[in-house]
Amino acid sequence: MSKSLKIVRIHNELLGTYGDQGNADVLAFRAKARSINARVLDISYLEVMPTDGDIYLMGGAEDAAQLLSLEALQRDNNLQAALDRGAVLLAVCAGFQIIGNSFEASGKKVGGLGLLNIDSASGSNIGKKRFVGDIKIKSDVVGCELTGFENHAGYTTLGQGVQPLGSVVVGHGNGDDKYDGAVSGNIFGTYLHGPVLARNPEFADLLLSRALGGPLEPFNDPLATQYAEWRRKVTK
Amino acid sequence: MAVMNFRLAAAIKAAHSVGSLSRAILGKSGETISGRVVLSLYPNSIKLLSTEKQVLLVSGTNGKTSTTKSLAQIVSSLGKVASNTTGSNLDWGVANALMNRAPYAVLEVDELHLPNVISETNPKVVLLLNLTRDQLHRMHEVKRVADRWRGACTNANATIFVVDVDDPFLNYATQSAKQVLKVSFGGRRHPDGSVCPSCGKYLNWSGGIYSCGCGLTNKVADRTFPDGSAGYRNAILANVAGEVVGAKAIEVDEKALERTITKHVGRSTATIRLTKNPASWTEALRGVDSKNVVLILNARQVDGLDTSWLWDVSYESLKGKEVIVCGERGMDLSYRLHVEGVANTLADTFENAMSQFPSGSEVSVLAAYTAFFALASK
Repeated sequence: MSKSLKIVRIHNELLGTYGDQGNADVLAFRAKARSINARVLDISYLEVMPTDGDIYLMGGAEDAAQLLSLEALQRDNNLQAALDRGAVLLAVCAGFQIIGNSFEASGKKVGGLGLLNIDSASGSNIGKKRFVGDIKIKSDVVGCELTGFENHAGYTTLGQGVQPLGSVVVGHGNGDDKYDGAVSGNIFGTYLHGPVLARNPEFADLLLSRALGGPLEPFNDPLATQYAEWRRKVTK
Repeated sequence: MAVMNFRLAAAIKAAHSVGSLSRAILGKSGETISGRVVLSLYPNSIKLLSTEKQVLLVSGTNGKTSTTKSLAQIVSSLGKVASNTTGSNLDWGVANALMNRAPYAVLEVDELHLPNVISETNPKVVLLLNLTRDQLHRMHEVKRVADRWRGACTNANATIFVVDVDDPFLNYATQSAKQVLKVSFGGRRHPDGSVCPSCGKYLNWSGGIYSCGCGLTNKVADRTFPDGSAGYRNAILANVAGEVVGAKAIEVDEKALERTITKHVGRSTATIRLTKNPASWTEALRGVDSKNVVLILNARQVDGLDTSWLWDVSYESLKGKEVIVCGERGMDLSYRLHVEGVANTLADTFENAMSQFPSGSEVSVLAAYTAFFALASK
């Protein structure tokens, strides 16, 4: 194995409520299938964030856990430093909100990490409903449709310099029923659980190629393809 | 029932007739329809039907039905017991069970219906088993359920809450209840317990013991027992709840508290266990003792619409076994196993899955909620 890949799962004990930890497993699996020496490193709330990771992952959480994760990430500048080096970040749901400029949790508005120029509001504060159900988006960034499951009350608006991950075909996404997620450089945010990389192998490969800095060797995994195509077909 | 008013009596009569029709014509249990009829004709019926009974409620994420059955058996030494032992645990299931004349009622209650049923039945005992991730499309968040319970527990001054205090969510929910009987099994790490449900700080765990700066801890308990399986813990909790109303404890039979049925399929024998969320899958996987395994996954409402939680469970213990996956969402599970390196094959039906084992095989089957009941009724 020549190349190596360090996947950092951020605060899984806090950001693991909706199964997003599987994103790390899928990345490692698809990397190893191409003889890349991939390993998954879990960094808890109590530990120092390494700066030498290649891909960083954040998942969904309940409000109190979301605030704790933010607090830990604000202790140092390590995640920012890793991203400045060109590392890839995928942040889902609560994680997606944390990396923006601001969001609302436990009834209060808080400043986020500001890694993405987005702002999130909580629909429950303005009497809006929670979005729960299957979601499908058409992503030009990934180059195909993506499916997942959304379960959130977040309304996210995108500022200058970021583009959506995709346009909503089924579901609600960022709350406007038009777009889901946000992308800027190697930073990706989305409301899609599933986990999103298990449902959408093309997205996993995009993150791997960004992290490795070049095209990947082909990897034919019929079960992954069959699974992704089936979910795209039935999500309507 | 001397005080029963005429309208309620008429409502019950109508409910019984509709229930009989449902049984006779549709071949259904008739419980849901009877309960719905009595509630629609007399919305206050749960409250009124409870007044002359000593009511014991059972709720929690896992083990409600089997523990209710066990507790009903324990309490039956004192007198006749009305109970919803088939798992019909929403308002109408509760109403239907309460229509039976008996001095005691032992009722299984759905987590989200519990606050309402507590306020309507004014129970003597509420037994809370556990609270973990389940059906998040409906529950949304574990903490949200705990918050609702907390509100109901705080107001129920006449009720004795029997709780497994090793579960921080149960401890939090009953923190301001007037009467609590805390049971500990020596501590156990909670899969969703990284945040203190009471103050929102990072919860400190030392092995299975949690202790938060705000005071929430399982270091203190009224009764302590050795640790064991979920079935064992629920059997003990049922005994403790029974003792509160003066019933004698029965022998602990943890196997009886696992939701398991045995079926002969072709020439093989399937031991089918109910599994429904990360906690119950993890528990059930520990109990797989056969080399042959069938896993059935559905994702209907009661199974949970979102299958993401499959990735919160480790299936590593199945490596080297003959694993066949089926069910409406079998492919979700098959791919999850594939990524963990657990070889498996997909089958389109349970019968086809079973037919792939040699004649005379013993097969361990883990079945999602709706799949379990479909097989149980065959």
